[in-house]
Amino acid sequence: MRTGLRRFFRERSAVVGVVIVSVVVLAAIFGPLVYGVSPIAIRHDLMGTPQAPSAGHLLGTDLLGRDEFSRALYGARVSLTVGVTAMLVAIGVGTLYGAVSGAAGGAVDAVMMRFVDAMLAFPSIFLIITVEALTNNFALAVIILIIGLLSWMSVARLVRGEVLSLRERDFVEAARALGASPARLIFRHLIPNALTPVVVAATLAIGDNILVEAGLSFLGLGVQPPMPSWGNMLQDALTPDARNAPWLVVTPGLLIVVTLLGFSLLGDGLQVVLNRSIQQESSGIDEPAVVLSRPTTEAAAPAS
Amino acid sequence: MTAYVVRRLVAAIPLLLLVSFISYGLMGLAPGGPAAILGAQARGLTPAAREHFIQQLGLDKPWYVQFFFWLVTLVFHGSLGNSYVDGRPVFDKILERMPITLELLGLSLAATLIVAIPVGVHAATHRGSWFDYISSALGFAAYATPVFWLGVVLVDVFAIHLRWFPTSGIASLGYEHDPIDRLRHLVLPVAALTIVSFASWMRYQRGAMIEALQAPFVRTARAKGLSERLVVYRHALRNALIPTVTLLGLTLPGLVGGAYFVEYVFSLPGMGLLGINSVFSRDYPTVMGITLLSAIVVVLGNLFADVAYAAVDPRIRYD
Repeated sequence: MRTGLRRFFRERSAVVGVVIVSVVVLAAIFGPLVYGVSPIAIRHDLMGTPQAPSAGHLLGTDLLGRDEFSRALYGARVSLTVGVTAMLVAIGVGTLYGAVSGAAGGAVDAVMMRFVDAMLAFPSIFLIITVEALTNNFALAVIILIIGLLSWMSVARLVRGEVLSLRERDFVEAARALGASPARLIFRHLIPNALTPVVVAATLAIGDNILVEAGLSFLGLGVQPPMPSWGNMLQDALTPDARNAPWLVVTPGLLIVVTLLGFSLLGDGLQVVLNRSIQQESSGIDEPAVVLSRPTTEAAAPAS
Repeated sequence: MTAYVVRRLVAAIPLLLLVSFISYGLMGLAPGGPAAILGAQARGLTPAAREHFIQQLGLDKPWYVQFFFWLVTLVFHGSLGNSYVDGRPVFDKILERMPITLELLGLSLAATLIVAIPVGVHAATHRGSWFDYISSALGFAAYATPVFWLGVVLVDVFAIHLRWFPTSGIASLGYEHDPIDRLRHLVLPVAALTIVSFASWMRYQRGAMIEALQAPFVRTARAKGLSERLVVYRHALRNALIPTVTLLGLTLPGLVGGAYFVEYVFSLPGMGLLGINSVFSRDYPTVMGITLLSAIVVVLGNLFADVAYAAVDPRIRYD
């Protein structure tokens, strides 16, 4: 573990990822407390004429005279909340599904995996947009559930793959011989040992979920005003009257880019470290691993 | 090979059946389903007329019964039903929008490959150089960029500020059949989609190339005294392209989703814009048709990637 940490911090990009993610998380938690300007207070004297960034309003004001910096800070809270909790939902469902499928094997496994194939054939963002629009309920919990429940499939594939290889290992065989129930096998032996790659997938999923939430809110199908989210801030910036205020377009977009970059770098760094420790475990030689970068989160397992 | 393709096509049918069943289920189970919407939209109707509509559209049946009727209509009449919005056949509506989406996808895929493969190869042959470092940083940044935001920024800079390209749509008034005008409309959308998808390909190509350059056959080629150019491009690259082909299948769902957002931002009248507008107007038959056709594009894309995989790598035999 110690050497793992040292190795992690030797990866320059991973360190950049940690720094970005920490800054965003700290800003989301403490920013609103420190800054103390309301994100929803409308300034009637500034209404209709967005103010450019100045000492009084660090990132200017929007069309309703609301402070853009404060909205960005509160937006970070919303984005991170959705990103992390939807990830937890997806990881929970995906891990359980994948573990059961892999442990069951045979026909059950085949049927369960065909369902995953079918779910993965959708452009997932379109599916999420459709379900969210039809549900027509934009409470944060509903948005989180919809994103989480429609994005667990790649995790399920990943965990299933791990479980399939673990199933034949001696310690699982031993547990089975000792009379462990299937549930005990899955929860005590298979899932804990399959979790290593899930850590990477979880980190990357937070970024993906933030992007999906931003996309939903951008279409007006996500977080509803006056609650700020980076996506609906961008939507506000596209109101014709706000088109001559470029800072309203730049702010939410750059925040999304930087945050996703942070989670991406962090996930990649974790992958490098975990891959190397797995390699070392098996070969005992510290060879530089060739890491094939991840094209999408779906790439964790080849499509069948 | 033909037998393999046929078998894969046949195997795709149950998959697509499952896909349509799932999407029908998701729509049917979402609160505020079609019947509720029709109820709300048809407030002007008498209760009897509304009842008549609901019965005529089969909306009083559970969703799985509706799915069965939908499937029967599809199989025996080759019809995806009629749009709730204008009553036209969904199939026609989608078919007239499809060329724009395919054009957008095809052009940006071509642009992505043309840029990403050489960059990936150069980064791999110059590992640890400034080029490698900067291209990988740019790749990470591009990967983190939301395509809808990038679209907005491109419009702001190149259409509104510099006035080099039109802001939206697929044709200028009076130039509907001018291919040059059409291309000018497609430049910014294709650029947006290319920039966000370029990163995956570039990084994947770099990884595959690094692996290929360490293979024994490359050492043999070098030992034969071949020039570095020949070693890199004739021997290593040809092998490194093989894993990259599979990326097509993996990135396609994301690419199609991205294209829908691009169409929305640029008001390109393709399948995506039709889909998003149909979602907003709750035109269930159209949404259903677009979902199914998007899934078909993805499944066929996967099949194409597998076949291409076999075509470029003679070591792989499907029989």
